[in-house]
Amino acid sequence: MNIRYARSTRWMVAAALIAVAAGCGSAAKSSSSAAGAGITLAVNPWTGSAVNANVAKVVLESKLSTAVTLLPIDENATWPGLDAGSIDAVLEVWPSGHAADVKTYIDEKKSVVNIGLLGPDAKIGWYIPTAMLKDHPELATWEGFKDPKNAKLFATAESGDLGQFLMGDPSYVSYDEQIIKNLALPLKFVVAGSEAAEITAIKQAVADNTPLLMQFWQPHWLQSKVALTQVTLPKVTEACLASAAAADGGFACDYPVDHLFKAASAKLATKNAAAFAFLSKIQLTTDQQNEIAAMVDGDGMTPDAAAKKWVDANPDVVKGWLG
Amino acid sequence: MAVASAALSTPARMPRPGLGQRLRPFAVHAALAGIVIAGIAIGRDVPSWFDAHIQSKIDQAYHWTVINNTTHWLFTWVFSPISDTIRWSTEHVLSFLQILRWPGVLIVVGLLGHRTGGRNAAVVGVTVMSGCGFLGFWDHTMITLSLMLVSVAVALLIGIPLGIWSGLSLRAEKVMRSVLDTAQVMPLYVYILPLVVAFGIGDSTAVVATVIYAVPPAVRITSLGIRAVSETTTEVGTSFGCTGWQLLLKVRLPLARRPILLGVNQVIMMAFGIVVYASLIGTAGLGGDVLTGLQKVNVGMAFAPGLAIVFAAISLDRITTGQRDERSDVDVVPTQRQLLLRRPGVAVAAGFAVVAVVALVAKLLGLDHFPASLTIDVAKPVNQAADWVSRNFRKGVPVVGGTGSFSDFVVVNLLNPTRDVLQGVAWWLIVAVALAVGLVSGGWRLGALCAGCFVGIAALQVWDLAMDTFSQVLVAVTLSLLVAVPIGVLAARSDRVERALRPLLDVAQVMPAFVYLVPVIFLFNVGRVPGVVASVIYAIPPGIRLTTLGLRQVPFAPREAAISFGATPRQELVKVQLPLATRSMMLAVNQTIIMVLSIVVVAGLIGAGGLGLETIYGLAKKEIGRGTAAGLAIVLLAIVLDRVTQAWGNRSQLVTRSSRH
Repeated sequence: MNIRYARSTRWMVAAALIAVAAGCGSAAKSSSSAAGAGITLAVNPWTGSAVNANVAKVVLESKLSTAVTLLPIDENATWPGLDAGSIDAVLEVWPSGHAADVKTYIDEKKSVVNIGLLGPDAKIGWYIPTAMLKDHPELATWEGFKDPKNAKLFATAESGDLGQFLMGDPSYVSYDEQIIKNLALPLKFVVAGSEAAEITAIKQAVADNTPLLMQFWQPHWLQSKVALTQVTLPKVTEACLASAAAADGGFACDYPVDHLFKAASAKLATKNAAAFAFLSKIQLTTDQQNEIAAMVDGDGMTPDAAAKKWVDANPDVVKGWLG
Repeated sequence: MAVASAALSTPARMPRPGLGQRLRPFAVHAALAGIVIAGIAIGRDVPSWFDAHIQSKIDQAYHWTVINNTTHWLFTWVFSPISDTIRWSTEHVLSFLQILRWPGVLIVVGLLGHRTGGRNAAVVGVTVMSGCGFLGFWDHTMITLSLMLVSVAVALLIGIPLGIWSGLSLRAEKVMRSVLDTAQVMPLYVYILPLVVAFGIGDSTAVVATVIYAVPPAVRITSLGIRAVSETTTEVGTSFGCTGWQLLLKVRLPLARRPILLGVNQVIMMAFGIVVYASLIGTAGLGGDVLTGLQKVNVGMAFAPGLAIVFAAISLDRITTGQRDERSDVDVVPTQRQLLLRRPGVAVAAGFAVVAVVALVAKLLGLDHFPASLTIDVAKPVNQAADWVSRNFRKGVPVVGGTGSFSDFVVVNLLNPTRDVLQGVAWWLIVAVALAVGLVSGGWRLGALCAGCFVGIAALQVWDLAMDTFSQVLVAVTLSLLVAVPIGVLAARSDRVERALRPLLDVAQVMPAFVYLVPVIFLFNVGRVPGVVASVIYAIPPGIRLTTLGLRQVPFAPREAAISFGATPRQELVKVQLPLATRSMMLAVNQTIIMVLSIVVVAGLIGAGGLGLETIYGLAKKEIGRGTAAGLAIVLLAIVLDRVTQAWGNRSQLVTRSSRH
């Protein structure tokens, strides 16, 4: 009996070992024989970021034989990644949300480098649903909100007697409280807490045709789905910008334009010089980025397929990045 | 019948007070008077000089870390090796899962389930796990699973020994309790960036964060189990000449097997509960899919991967904690083959062989991916359902009006008045009230602790935010209990209800809040109420479970007595069962509070403001000190509420015990 147990056990172990060995042999991925060292690009959670990274990936892999890994990651965690070199570059940084990171990593530690503008400009501003202008054309400018009766249109349970001003993601720059105070508007600043929460509130307001005033921005995929109008704020002046720089609480004008830029790990220049040069050069215009983004958000293509299609259709633009 | 409540009003007999105890009332009155006098002198608001300067100190420390994380020995010799080891483990676990391919993984699940819980566990485990494939998320589930397996293993390796230690030593338990409270309630948003700086982006930080969050239940429940082993049993062990180690390994641990398994269950549930956060820091898998759906504000798109997370968690839970049906083993006379398989070595070898053969066959047949033709699209029906609910429930519902007006009602009539009271009265008055409440609930030590926690909140300079959050927590806990207790009572009275509830409660506990944030906002308007609703959804499972458990543990004798005295079922419940289940009910209250506090940050993401939003600001603006101050305030609130409700539970236990004599 005992011998039989032992024999059958031995058989089973042998079979297991053979099978595992067979399985292992195939599972090891064949390493690509790329010319340049493989690099990792961060993809932050919005369409524009995915579009840029995928376009760069297509070009890097087809023209520069550099294998590219795309890493989906939160924008705040991107910076320690760039710092350590586990992320090689991020192609769409919104300066308004990353003043502290620029100071720490680019200016002070110099472990991250600014590798130029991406191309598109972004603009934060105050928005209302366009449909509201029909009954209240005066709300097209900030002066329309001085009238407490108008402001009260925007009142909610959270804002009480004042009108509600909704702010979205806390990571974005916000001068809204200062603007409200310095222009003496009867509004209450309420933070939605996240972009998703703000978008839900916008969708809800548009569906119900209820008033909503909020901080929002261009470019954003929602802008093509929902009609929103930017409220005109007082013109940007030198004094106003100086006040923002000094953080003295005196800001009382429109948001300045954000120039989106690219950032790379300082180690990339030595790790893969060709990729570094290419990433420094790559640029998309606002229209080009919107065109690819529309394929993703509108036509339901994957960012990967949309990038391939666009790169194939625009060889001249791509050649410009490589020259 | 009203024995319990009658006993409540008569004070327990006290031993003769010593000199220190006789002086205590004076000390307490003096402390109260001191607070009032100092408070009047200082004023209604927390003065700006009363500042522990935590924020600036932490900001400096974080900045130092960022600048030195590539050079300092702490990073090169401690954090980096840990990080590399973790990454090595998750990568190898993942490639092992990939070698097994989906048929192999399902076989492993089935065999493990069969071994721990018999056929039932095997069938449930395999069915639920294959659900991840039917949802179209098999490959991403494997990535998440590799992270979770490593995290759960590390959490148990740390948690069970700590639990044993704290089960054997009162002092260890005391020290560990506050650490565990902090680990459980301190929002991940506070320490995630420092962790990333120390351990790098990706798997290693995700595992460390998950372990921090999942260790507390392992320690607590193991310790509870060790303590529950009766004195008599261990005495028998000692009299037979067991050494300390033998006593632990041969007597205590085997007898504590059930609670330890419950600990495993809670570790798994907790770990899967934070999968989505892990994806913020550059780990692939299901969490990222949930976030993508949320980013597009597409409920169905976030729901499908969320459901896959739930399935993976439930499957893992059922196959690790399945209760073997002992009876069937005894009744059936085993055949020769079964006897053979019961030899441990043989069974394991057979299992290996079966798995290996299945994996090999799967490889030869090219079954690399879960067949796409079998996937079911749940996104569309979920979106339709969510649309329908948000269209029809928001307004125009007869009598109640709809969720929109309910939300306004809660803000105007519950949240605003509570907040106005808490923020309106002088801060020292709240400290004094905390002292008094602690004193009445559990004596002068508890009173001092409660007062100290509130003074701490003041010194963190987040008083108004804390009172805002405190008011929301009070409202959320009240609403949670109003929902949970009746459902728990129902489940205690009917096995069918309890069985039907179990999967629902699992879903509510593990389904990432990110999945249902959007419909909740749509129904209740952005603001504090969606936060309250999300907290209620998250907090009711333990409330329901503990209520049911408590009621079911009430011995039959007193109920029988009540029935023979002619009590109606309702009287039986209200006058006998509920009072006798007070301890468990207080534990339900306690766990509800902890749950509500542990998702304060999630509430902040949907408009709740307060400490939750402050924590998010800390992360978003890289003001780590600011986030830490808010996080510590949440922990201090949790400690006060936890200790006070635990004291109530302990007291009611004393009362019910004495009433039985």
